Amino acid sequence: MTATVATTSPSVGARPSAVTPRDLARAGATRRSRGSKIKITVGAICTALVVVPVILASVLPIPDPSAQDLSRRRLPPLAEGHLFGTDALGRDLLSLVLHGGQVSLTIGLLAVTISGIIGVVLGSAAGFFGGWPDAVISRLAEVQMALPLLMMLLLVVALFGASLPVITFVIAIALWPEVARLTRSLVLVEREKPYVAAARVLGLHRVQILIRHVVPNIVKQASLVVLLLLAQAVLLESALSYLGAGPERPFATWGRIISDGQNYITTSWWLVTLPGLVIVLLVLGVNLLGDGLRDRPRRRKGKKA
Amino acid sequence: MTRYLVKRLGQSLLAIFLTVSTVFVLVRLAPGDPAKAYAGPFATTEQLDEVRRQFGLDRPLLEQYWVFLKGLVHGDLGTSFSFQAPAINVVMDRLPYTLTLAVSAILVTTVVAVPLGVWMARRADTRRELGANVATIAGQSMPEFWTGTVLLTIFAVLIPVLPASSFATWGGLVLPTITIAIMQIALISRLLRREMVTNFAAPYLTVARSRGVRESLLTWRYAMRNASVPVVTALGTRFAAMLNGVVVVEVVFAWPGVGSLVVRALETRDYPLIVATVLITSVLAVLVQLLVDLCYPLLDPRVRLGKAAA
Repeated sequence: MTATVATTSPSVGARPSAVTPRDLARAGATRRSRGSKIKITVGAICTALVVVPVILASVLPIPDPSAQDLSRRRLPPLAEGHLFGTDALGRDLLSLVLHGGQVSLTIGLLAVTISGIIGVVLGSAAGFFGGWPDAVISRLAEVQMALPLLMMLLLVVALFGASLPVITFVIAIALWPEVARLTRSLVLVEREKPYVAAARVLGLHRVQILIRHVVPNIVKQASLVVLLLLAQAVLLESALSYLGAGPERPFATWGRIISDGQNYITTSWWLVTLPGLVIVLLVLGVNLLGDGLRDRPRRRKGKKA
Repeated sequence: MTRYLVKRLGQSLLAIFLTVSTVFVLVRLAPGDPAKAYAGPFATTEQLDEVRRQFGLDRPLLEQYWVFLKGLVHGDLGTSFSFQAPAINVVMDRLPYTLTLAVSAILVTTVVAVPLGVWMARRADTRRELGANVATIAGQSMPEFWTGTVLLTIFAVLIPVLPASSFATWGGLVLPTITIAIMQIALISRLLRREMVTNFAAPYLTVARSRGVRESLLTWRYAMRNASVPVVTALGTRFAAMLNGVVVVEVVFAWPGVGSLVVRALETRDYPLIVATVLITSVLAVLVQLLVDLCYPLLDPRVRLGKAAA
């Protein structure tokens, strides 16, 4: 024991302690924060690997996504300057994937933003006011979560056509209950805190308290869920377009590219595998990022050590 | 208890009725004409009118709805346009396939996810657990249609050991089951890990440990028991969702279940078939949910049905 005290590093301070730096490094809290750091880093790298090329799709030196070359059909990856190979019409697969990704990502981001707004508004109203708004909103979310989701989405897309706004809206509607449920539970806790009572004593209106004081306190945690929902949105959109209910213009999205490629799996494995890998990389990245951020040990506010 | 059951069933029936009615109206508002899908692209206007009359689609929406409701009371959901058979029978013929797939997927999921989740909780935040953790995140990041197609490419095309889309042999069940299970295992094991970690940190466990209760008992009796309620709920919800047709997987593997039937019914605008599918699968899903709810008092004696279910 005395030996460990003697070897205590200066970073721990001169205070005598049996806790060595090695112990600290192996402590649960340290490991947890290390794990979350790794997740955040890997997640950010995976996300960037997909997002950056997708954003730069029209600037990168790749062939036009709609340029067909029937003499160069279904070339394997890395052949003749086609990094991902070509599809059944001789179009460059990488270019298709990146341009399709612009559509997929736009839909995902918009859908998540809309569902985030709906979810936070309805969820905080339900949590803060209670009573009948809570009953109505909670039941609504419950009923929707019990519905056969994909089937309903297919139905609505069949009803209004597979256009970009429709698909975006449909996915947004599909995802809002998750945000609402979390926001509601956060607001329920926040509502009982002294500052809310203080604000009420000062004569602030209830809506004012909710918007100015309660929502800013929960919006950070709620936005974390929204990030995780982005992964869901991308998966949902690709499933829809796989089933033929995806947007066709301006570019076919990821799911559609894969379902087209499925006819050739006996001869051309890359038509399915590579676009799918891009989806997996993006969704994995976003999920890791969200998970890591959630696990990150929070700084205690107002409690200085 | 009886009151609880009656109330629950009543609520569920109402929800199903509203869902089915919504679907009934929605499909008829949708663009796309079932008569055209049925009579073919070269049908004349007279032929189309004839087909519409035959299907009863020329009558006002309310009247169609009334006819539907009268049939519903007698257990008659109308005749499927494309199969020319009672819609309910068409769905019932497909149901065993979906049931087989759903049951085998949920079994595999439970058998793998429970030990995995427990292991991850006990080894929480070690290096190996981090690897498993990232792997489960990857599992829930893979779209099922992609996993399915890649598995097909590997095990049916490159190394042809398993049938690609056959449902005649039990071997045909393997790939679809794995495809569904990968995502479900990821979701369930992560949920279980989270619940177990919370319970491991709870004071009651420290007390039990200080009294000298063995670690294995602490894990499987103490923490597991408390973690089981949310996990069983999730398993039930997942299973119920699978009964609604594992649409994507069924399409990938050409599995003749309810899911691929729905896609076909939507394409051909087969109204009675769409409505029948929604009705039957929602009834089944509700029954599963109810069974899960009835399990709660067994898992956790503090749960009193009827009082808790406010």
